[in-house]
Amino acid sequence: MAGTLKAEWHKWWATVVINWRRLLAYKLNFLLLVIGPVLVFFFIRYQVWAGIYRLEGVDTLQGYTFEQMLAYQVWVMIVGFLALGFNGMNLAEEIRLGRISSYLLYPFGFWPFQMASFLAFQGLQLLVATVTLLAVWAMGWVQLQPLALLQGFSLAACVGLFWFQANFVIGILAFWLEETWVLRVMLVTLSQFFSGALIPLELFPKALAQALHWLPFPYLTYMPVKVFMGTYTGSLWQAFAVLLLWTLLVFGLARVVWRQGIHNYTGAGI
Amino acid sequence: MIHATALSKNFRVYHKAPGFWGSVRSFWQRQYSDKPAVKAFDLEIGKGERVGLLGPNGAGKTTLMKMFTGIIVPSSGQLSVLGHQPHARSRDFRLRIALVMGQKSQLWWDIPAMDSFVLLQRYYEIEESTFRRRLNALVSLLDVAPLLQVHVRKLSLGERMKMELIACLLHQPELLFLDEPTIGLDLVAQRKIREFILEWQREYGTTVLLTSHYMADVDALCERIVLVLNGQKRFDGGIRSFESLLGRQKYVSVSFEQPVDTQSAVWQPHDPQWQADGLQVELRIDEAVLRETAMAIFRDFPVQSFSMEKLPIERVMHQLLQETEVL
Repeated sequence: MAGTLKAEWHKWWATVVINWRRLLAYKLNFLLLVIGPVLVFFFIRYQVWAGIYRLEGVDTLQGYTFEQMLAYQVWVMIVGFLALGFNGMNLAEEIRLGRISSYLLYPFGFWPFQMASFLAFQGLQLLVATVTLLAVWAMGWVQLQPLALLQGFSLAACVGLFWFQANFVIGILAFWLEETWVLRVMLVTLSQFFSGALIPLELFPKALAQALHWLPFPYLTYMPVKVFMGTYTGSLWQAFAVLLLWTLLVFGLARVVWRQGIHNYTGAGI
Repeated sequence: MIHATALSKNFRVYHKAPGFWGSVRSFWQRQYSDKPAVKAFDLEIGKGERVGLLGPNGAGKTTLMKMFTGIIVPSSGQLSVLGHQPHARSRDFRLRIALVMGQKSQLWWDIPAMDSFVLLQRYYEIEESTFRRRLNALVSLLDVAPLLQVHVRKLSLGERMKMELIACLLHQPELLFLDEPTIGLDLVAQRKIREFILEWQREYGTTVLLTSHYMADVDALCERIVLVLNGQKRFDGGIRSFESLLGRQKYVSVSFEQPVDTQSAVWQPHDPQWQADGLQVELRIDEAVLRETAMAIFRDFPVQSFSMEKLPIERVMHQLLQETEVL
């Protein structure tokens, strides 16, 4: 039993390591992946909110001062680093062109391979997030509180797990669909809006904000951001529970879809 | 090793009328049909056998390979490979097989092959000292030591194929599936790969199932041939009996000092294949009339060279595809 566990651990770790090697093989590509969100932050989010406050000629918007809004947007970026993986992006193509055939032959499952690849990417993202966070903290844009950081990182890890599983399900729909990117764009757009990544949920109509509490969306950005900021007043347990429930639901869905999909797989291209 | 009974696989094919309106109509009304790729296929392969699956494109060879390796699920019939149902893809089953795909790389493109080998060491649970020993043996047999740290995408096709073979043999599979292992390689590289596989197979007694369009692969590597036409098995037997399917014939190549009459009655019964300039011909001659035909050729034509060998398997295949009633 211990031997099997050790062998499994070696497989997971070797997959993580090989993914690091792959990610770092193209240094410029990796650099762009890392600094892309930072550039977006400075050139778009910062400018947009600075413009809004200037044009409106106000000091606060729904209780947010410009500095608080800036801090909110910084944390959105950090949560993005921690939770949004890029797994599943190429999954559909790999299925359609029959590239997953190789993975079906290895004595290591396809899901564990994808999961380990995701963890490898998130490991690097954690490093990037930490460096970015230290830089903005040094600039005085955010405040760091140990307990809030611990809770925020834990919640963000759960969000990452949910996103991974959701992307996985969408990716393996390629067993039936030619392209799955439309579905991914729809999900990302919906979640961007309803998760508070674009505007804080306080600016939403009250009824809608209430209803959203039972959907995964607010937990994907808004909640972790508020937790990181130390201003979250709701139940942290509820946040973890709702998120975990949705993750389990999507996990179950992935199992069903995979089982059916692999039955339909034709292994095109070999 | 492999037991298949009445094995069948149907693929669902989607039909769409051509043009824009065809696309619009197919949006509402999709028409499908079931295309049988493999039909009621029976096959028994024993331990240590070297079997060639032959057939034209679309005959069903690769579909069979995919079912045997568990990549796709059969539509009906029974299949047991190494005592397992392949599509259940149990860990034990996957530890004991390997598939080399000439047209598809299994190595990670962006990193050196050595990194992939280390990953496979973990996947196949190979102990460190065993891994080093096997890797060294394979690397020296294939002469690729200087290439281990080179990114796979920078290797030539021949070099990459050698690396693919190493990747597939590190765990010493009992059953090795080779799908067009020499496709696209130059003649020297093809020969090296063939020699290597043969040497490996002899040393470890690995069971080999090969598909290839290069008859030289089949000739060199296989002792038994299974011919597949339209998803059905049409021949299953030793390579020598496959060669004699068209009767006891010899393959004769004659070249002449000057162009000769290609319409002469001497050639006609022997399926002549002329070079454009009329300076060389290839013939298929029954052994019963070989002596008198050869004498007639020497007597009537300015023969420069005359060579004779048994009918190449390539010729047998070509002929069989035209005369399937022989089967």
